[in-house]
Amino acid sequence: MASGNTLCVFTATAGVPPSSNYATLDTRNSQPVLEFDAATDESIVFEGILPSNYSGGGITCVLQWAGDTATTGDVMWTTEFERRATDMDSDSFATVVAGAAASCNGTSGIPTYTSIAHTDGAQIDSLAVGEGFRFRVTRDANHASDTMAGDAVLIAVLLKET
Amino acid sequence: MAVLTNAERIKRWARFMRENNESIPVSKDQLRAVYDAVDDFVETIQTPYNQAIPQPARGLLSSRQKARILMDVIEERFVRLP
Repeated sequence: MASGNTLCVFTATAGVPPSSNYATLDTRNSQPVLEFDAATDESIVFEGILPSNYSGGGITCVLQWAGDTATTGDVMWTTEFERRATDMDSDSFATVVAGAAASCNGTSGIPTYTSIAHTDGAQIDSLAVGEGFRFRVTRDANHASDTMAGDAVLIAVLLKET
Repeated sequence: MAVLTNAERIKRWARFMRENNESIPVSKDQLRAVYDAVDDFVETIQTPYNQAIPQPARGLLSSRQKARILMDVIEERFVRLP
């Protein structure tokens, strides 16, 4: 019952930019997207509360994204959680979880869905039901396996129970 | 003028990827190789380009002016949309 349950959904407009090296909000055919640079690591943060239907099975983050102009190449995405249980004035994200190299669609603009699984406990910063959290998505643009030229546009993020 | 430094090539390559709005069917590394090759190519055509400019302009225009004219012609021929 619990596995596969939708926990949170974030669209591009829900993204909160960090103080530097942030993905930029733009539109594509009037649809809001977040653009991640190809040469510099950029991030975006989403905020939420872990809902009561979470059963402790871990959280899988599904990124819906597309190549801005590219029709070939891979993107290296990383995700990390921060449990809102410490001083708000300092970041305390848990260890980054990196996804495998994700290939863009052969047609620019057609989305790709990339999943990154976080186990329960430390990988979600020991987040518990009812607690607030921040969730950060980063394009590891300078990773050797990040080969896609041009921006990667993030359309939406789904957090579901693994 | 010497070829671009690695940092300068990276800057231009990054800017191209940021500003380009046409489909890119090659990888980042392949695109970067284009920048390296074009910069090297420009190095080889400096002398013949200068020779192509008629006098007295060849002797009177600055290098920057000559470069801007080349850019202008290329832009009009290949870049500017009709």
